[in-house]
Amino acid sequence: MRIERLRAWICAGVCLALSGGAVMAQVPYRRIAGAESDPSTWVTYSGNYQAQRFSLLDQINRQNVAQLKPTWMYQMRHPGIVETSPIVVDGVMYLTEPPSTATALDVRTGRPLWTYTPKIPSDVIVIGSPPVNRGVAVLDDLVFFGTVNCHLIALDAKTGIVRWDTMVDDNKKGYYVTSAPLAIDGRIIIGISGAETGIRGFLDAYDPKTGKRLWRTYTVPAPGEPGRETWGGDSWQHGGGSTWVTGSYDPDLHLLYWGTGNPGPDWNDDVRPGDNLYTCSLLAIDPANGKIKWHFQFTPHDVHDWDATEIPVLFDAEVQGRRRKVVSMANRNGFYYLLDRATGEFLTAVPYVKQNWTDGLDAKGRPFARRDADPKAEGTLVYPAITGSANWYSPSYSPKTRLFYHAARQMAGIYFKGDAEYKDGTAYTGGGGDTKNGDEASGAILAWEASSGKLRWEFKLLTPPWAGLLSTAGGLVFGGTEEGNFFALDAENGKPLWQLQLGGRVAANPVSFAIDGKQQVAIAAGSSLFVFGLP
Amino acid sequence: MSIERFAGALLLLLGVAAHPLPAQNAAEVDKGRQLFLGMCSRCHGAEGGGGEGPSLNRSLTRATDDQALRTIIQEGIPDRGMPRTRRLSNGELSAMAAYVRSLGRHAEVAGQGNAEKGKAVYQRLGCASCHVIAGQGGILGPELTNIGVRRAPGYLRQAILDPAAVLPRGGTDVPGRGFNEYLPVRIVTREGREVNGLRVNEDSFSIQVRDAGSQLYSFQKADLQKLDKEFGKSLMPDYKTRAADADLDDLVAYLASLGGAK
Repeated sequence: MRIERLRAWICAGVCLALSGGAVMAQVPYRRIAGAESDPSTWVTYSGNYQAQRFSLLDQINRQNVAQLKPTWMYQMRHPGIVETSPIVVDGVMYLTEPPSTATALDVRTGRPLWTYTPKIPSDVIVIGSPPVNRGVAVLDDLVFFGTVNCHLIALDAKTGIVRWDTMVDDNKKGYYVTSAPLAIDGRIIIGISGAETGIRGFLDAYDPKTGKRLWRTYTVPAPGEPGRETWGGDSWQHGGGSTWVTGSYDPDLHLLYWGTGNPGPDWNDDVRPGDNLYTCSLLAIDPANGKIKWHFQFTPHDVHDWDATEIPVLFDAEVQGRRRKVVSMANRNGFYYLLDRATGEFLTAVPYVKQNWTDGLDAKGRPFARRDADPKAEGTLVYPAITGSANWYSPSYSPKTRLFYHAARQMAGIYFKGDAEYKDGTAYTGGGGDTKNGDEASGAILAWEASSGKLRWEFKLLTPPWAGLLSTAGGLVFGGTEEGNFFALDAENGKPLWQLQLGGRVAANPVSFAIDGKQQVAIAAGSSLFVFGLP
Repeated sequence: MSIERFAGALLLLLGVAAHPLPAQNAAEVDKGRQLFLGMCSRCHGAEGGGGEGPSLNRSLTRATDDQALRTIIQEGIPDRGMPRTRRLSNGELSAMAAYVRSLGRHAEVAGQGNAEKGKAVYQRLGCASCHVIAGQGGILGPELTNIGVRRAPGYLRQAILDPAAVLPRGGTDVPGRGFNEYLPVRIVTREGREVNGLRVNEDSFSIQVRDAGSQLYSFQKADLQKLDKEFGKSLMPDYKTRAADADLDDLVAYLASLGGAK
């Protein structure tokens, strides 16, 4: 091509871009909302807005999964726990690396296309979790991710150049970001961590184009707001209620579903009598204005750090004889819950691990919590442990089997009550805990009927897992272990079909996509990201 | 006579002045004691007398000053199996350190045995056929080179009398923190081959085993007919009837002296 003609082409491209960004947009909202129409991509954190972590691809299936081979690997540039869940679209994989790096890889080869690491102050405050990052969101031509110093950053998807960088809140008070943002129509939704430092939790929405905040919804009500009466004294000011795991979205009902974390201080509840709304709850939020349409509190007045920051999974099912739009959650407190996602009505809940903190639930799902399970100075043995029977990592729902797959942690904890003094940016936990680990703990991949919680099968794991699950139309469930096994089970009966030792702890969520028409499965383990395909 | 009174008497005998604690400090120590009971006593014993973990009422070689002690309480000693504690407030940390320091004010209670004689007992009983000290010995059982700083005398005595009662819990990466080390396993493969040995490592799909002849085996669990983890058993014989009481005292004193422990 002659130089003149090339110039003309470039000019035409630039002019087109300047005249209307939408024309050039890579990943418009409708492409995310219709994720099912192109299963070769993985366009949002959980694969679709329903947060099902299910792939419609079926090239890799029961018959051939044993032949899986590495396609490529990528090694992270910084040490740290890798909890990232990649996004794959238009030949590019976007992932995050610990603690706050965003990177784009050529999906065919794993070669980096760009990487961006913001300046993180050396005195950054990260209390309550390791400094991890679980991934990015994409919308139009931009890639969005949060940082440990509590910024939300938008990068140009093609180059990694910063389009905007907004401070979400003050890291000096303990706010930080570990979760992937959620991109919806004209909104970037981001949750925060920090409920171990006495923050007042919130969920934010930002304008994708400018980084301007559109709304903030506090998860702990101030004086004059409904729910304030559930906090004794001034305790609401440092009431916690973080929002540190990416929620789900129903475009038809136009509602966001987002889980909230523990009340502060975690284990010493002396200063916060009451239910402590809206901690350890699921919130249904109108994305237009941030208004809370309904809430359901799984663990009122929590004293065990059982955040409800698990993935709210959406599906439609017949529950107790009636067709429902359902939101489900395998909660950290040991129960699997089904709610009507239009109204928040409690439908049912079943325990899926050993628990000894409540004498069951009432007809509205409220636990009869046993006060003898409260933390004590000398320690109280309680099932589940502080890290819960579930945690941030994702479950999976298969519309094909209508089973809900969950990596369950079966472990007891010893809960201690201690001093709680609030001081900006320091731990405000009031105690802590130990776990009964080693041979005293175990894990399992559980498959239960999503509409009832009835157990269908169980695959035992040596230790409590910290890795999410992916189910596929190929009839498979992929997962990982603490000891570094990446494995595939038969989605119908839990039979192990393939596994490979990856040499490092698996503490991430699997995803699936296609390269040039060939299905791949990706997972991070240790400090590497692995992509597998058929030979 | 309680240990405290015995220690007090010993202090007087040795002519060491027992410093009375100021009242403010006494309250702090008391608070520290409560924290210690909840979080530390499982390994270090109720009064810091030790057990699975070393005794603390002696000179603490790692915690030479208060800052070092606070760091150890907070961060643990991962390569020795001591986990980090829960997040403590500064006040709690000070109280815990004050309590541990108050333990240091007790005089050390001398064991009844004679370490020199114990060394001979160790050789006579053939302990070296399964245990390494300073590079010498068999590898079936745990290395004992530094056992005196890792375990308290009471724990060592128990381990000799009834080894199956308490298997050491792993403090390292293999087989993993909290796992029983030296766990006997009985394996029968699908072909009917039987292997008895000790678990070296394990994951959800495989297990690695070493038998009494130091032969290493690796199995996929799917290929096994039987995998019995024999909790409550040990490959080490018990010495309830194999050693005289005096020999036992000497042996414990010898082991307790290993690794520079006093």
